[in-house]
Amino acid sequence: MSPPLTSDLAYVPPDGGWGWAVVFGASITVGFSYSFPKAFTIYFKELQAVYKVSYSQIAWITSIMCATTYGGGPISSILVNRFGSRPVVIFGGLLCGIGMVSASFCTSIMQLYICVGLISGFGLALNLQPSVIIIGKYFLKRRPLANGLAMAGSPVMLCTLAPLNQFLFDNFGWRGSFLILGAILLNCCVAGALFRPIGPATGPIQKEANKEGKETAKEEEEDKDCCAKFNQYLDCSLFKHRGFLIYLVGNVLMFLGFFAPIVFLAPYAKHIGIDEYSAAFLLSILAIVDMFARPATGLIANSKWVRPKIQYFFSFSIAFNGACHLLCPLASDYTGLIIYSVFFGLAFGMVCAMLFETLMDLVGATRFTSAVGLVTIAECCTILLGPPIGGTLIDTFGDYKYMFIKCGAVMVLAGTFLFIMNYYNYRMLAKEEKAMATKDPEHGRTVNEGSNDWDREKIQDGQELEPLTDEQGLKKEINGLSEA
Amino acid sequence: MRGCGSGTRALRLPLLLLSLAAMCLSEDALSGPTTTTQSTSQQTQNILNNTPTEHNVSTPGQAITTQGVHQETRESFSENTSGGHDRSTDGPRYTTQQTNLTWMAYNISIPGFSSPLIEKNITLDSPANIELSCTVASVSTHAVAIEKTWKKDTKTIESNVTSNETKNVWSTQYKLQIREKKDMGSYMCVMKGEQEVQAVFHLKVPKIKGKEKPIVSYEGDSVVMVCESGNYIPITWIWYTINGSHQVPINDSLMPEKYIIDKTPANKTHLKIMKLTGQDGGLYVCQAVFKLGENNGEVNLKVLNYMVPLKPFFAIAAEVIVLVALIFLYEIYSKKKEMLAEGEKEFEQIEQLKSEESNGVENSSTRHRKV
Repeated sequence: MSPPLTSDLAYVPPDGGWGWAVVFGASITVGFSYSFPKAFTIYFKELQAVYKVSYSQIAWITSIMCATTYGGGPISSILVNRFGSRPVVIFGGLLCGIGMVSASFCTSIMQLYICVGLISGFGLALNLQPSVIIIGKYFLKRRPLANGLAMAGSPVMLCTLAPLNQFLFDNFGWRGSFLILGAILLNCCVAGALFRPIGPATGPIQKEANKEGKETAKEEEEDKDCCAKFNQYLDCSLFKHRGFLIYLVGNVLMFLGFFAPIVFLAPYAKHIGIDEYSAAFLLSILAIVDMFARPATGLIANSKWVRPKIQYFFSFSIAFNGACHLLCPLASDYTGLIIYSVFFGLAFGMVCAMLFETLMDLVGATRFTSAVGLVTIAECCTILLGPPIGGTLIDTFGDYKYMFIKCGAVMVLAGTFLFIMNYYNYRMLAKEEKAMATKDPEHGRTVNEGSNDWDREKIQDGQELEPLTDEQGLKKEINGLSEA
Repeated sequence: MRGCGSGTRALRLPLLLLSLAAMCLSEDALSGPTTTTQSTSQQTQNILNNTPTEHNVSTPGQAITTQGVHQETRESFSENTSGGHDRSTDGPRYTTQQTNLTWMAYNISIPGFSSPLIEKNITLDSPANIELSCTVASVSTHAVAIEKTWKKDTKTIESNVTSNETKNVWSTQYKLQIREKKDMGSYMCVMKGEQEVQAVFHLKVPKIKGKEKPIVSYEGDSVVMVCESGNYIPITWIWYTINGSHQVPINDSLMPEKYIIDKTPANKTHLKIMKLTGQDGGLYVCQAVFKLGENNGEVNLKVLNYMVPLKPFFAIAAEVIVLVALIFLYEIYSKKKEMLAEGEKEFEQIEQLKSEESNGVENSSTRHRKV
């Protein structure tokens, strides 16, 4: 009768069934969140002419959008903790739609900053985080594969949005295009509708237990002070979590060199004498390779050889990415650049597919909700700094190779850091596991039942569970009742 | 040599000249004469490749306003010709503000007798001194009288017969002073010995870049249309709207709340039309007036009603609502099925218990009876 406890979730994730519909919905929302700012750049030239502003002022629109999408992470996390993924995504989709529709009536650049940058950006933030969170709730055994498939939505959506934007612009002008894009973004609501809430199994005994649990929870809530209440919605005790800190530092460092090469690939190609269309073709190659690399990486990461040591695989892919950039200056003609694009697409896809999977692996699915919010707001700064720093390097030295060297060096450093620190982390976890086994034989039995290494999640959380809320404790009680 | 090292040199000099241009232009745009320098190193590169195709090499030069400053222009010379370059600045004096114009040389090297007609486009926006030359290399003739003719459009302008050619090379030069529109056109060189060769130079005013795709805008909105002349600076710009088959010039001082014509920077022109109506749609022509002629660019404007994009908008919004409703309905339906299934299971369990009880009662009653 009792569900086998192989994760810190109080239930067994389905690992399939409706989960695949959730993955499909997640790929749509993730795709919009990542590719919409990139596809938006098609309108820049026209907007520049209409509002008579410089390129950098126009580029602020997408910068604000990206900043809000990443900076809105913690708010997203709080809302998901409170309401669940579905309402948040539907509301996010509505916000995006409203933002773009109001943008089509704008008469100044400031209004565009607000409508497109802030409102739509925040809507995308409310789309991105909950989608990634709900995958962790529906999948455990096949989670890397599910993550890889969901993240594959980004290049697919980019390949669709870019020509679509061009078509809309040619036929409807920029105002009409914004109106129609608002409607297209409403499709995020459809994806949100697919995110059926899932939680502990509700049988007759559990229902009663839930009711009792809720009553006791209400009593206890009044006793808590606001700090603990805040912790309920955004778990700040994560900052004491070793794995979380390692991930945070490594990723913040990595993002400094992550996006700049994509931004400057086409200009670099034009700089060495390649014509505009071939330069754009390089980006298409990158997107296509990326599209296939992400699910493939998910599949590999799911295999029994890689999954236990998935952090090493992640660090390797970051370092591989960095190595590609370091070798790029050697490519002096079009063939070399094509080879670079292929490898870059592969590396980029590998890193993106495992970006959230590794965080889930470290902190567990329940704390992932808060973790993802905290991580995205920290990454926000370096993501925004990366391309401008690259641009400054290019302007100072007049040569693109220093930008590539800087990006490559930063990523190789990040990869090495993550590799070493995760080696240390795995060793500490093994030690803690042994200590738990000797201390509590009964507890050790349930641990040793599953030979899966992701049982470690439970022990890891077990140790650091105390500063967390009583809700977790209640969940354990419920499980205890069900076992009886 | 020059042609090979054109890469880096081509970067530095234009940058220098452009910065000069920026300084001068900021003081007093369009007042002085303009001198175009032609970067013909690329042309020589093409010639060296010996492609007997049409040389559409109107390479952009740099436009510089001069105010009594002697301009050092970059001359070109082909690798084949040995002489015939006049690099001195002894042009004729002019009564206008113009300074001494240096000579610019253009050469067509004809590869052989049976090659198709070679044409070269030369772009000029202001008066210049041009030296045109045609060369045929690898001619295996002995001293033969060669008739050399230069034609403008179809009229012969110069014709002479020479003999005692330098071995294996036929060449002819023609010096031109381009001062006004009628000096522009097509100049053809013809050299006739045993066989005839021809080549054509097309002297044209700069091309104007408008917009190939139509600009879409909406009623009540305003739109900006841009035309560019590249690196050449015209004397003035004129905008026309096409009314039937007439070109009607647009006067922005007459209707300032409707049209605004912006003429800075000098090589671009902006026409801003406000409060658009359906009749404002159509073809607009921007004309750049140079001293040596005019050239037109076209911009097509489409003015749409707000209803036009609203239809796809509502269609997509309706699709979203339908899909969301379907998903929710399916969820309610599957939940009901689940509850029914659970209810049936419970019913079966209760039945089972009841039957066990009744069996037990029967057993006990039978036992009772037995006893």
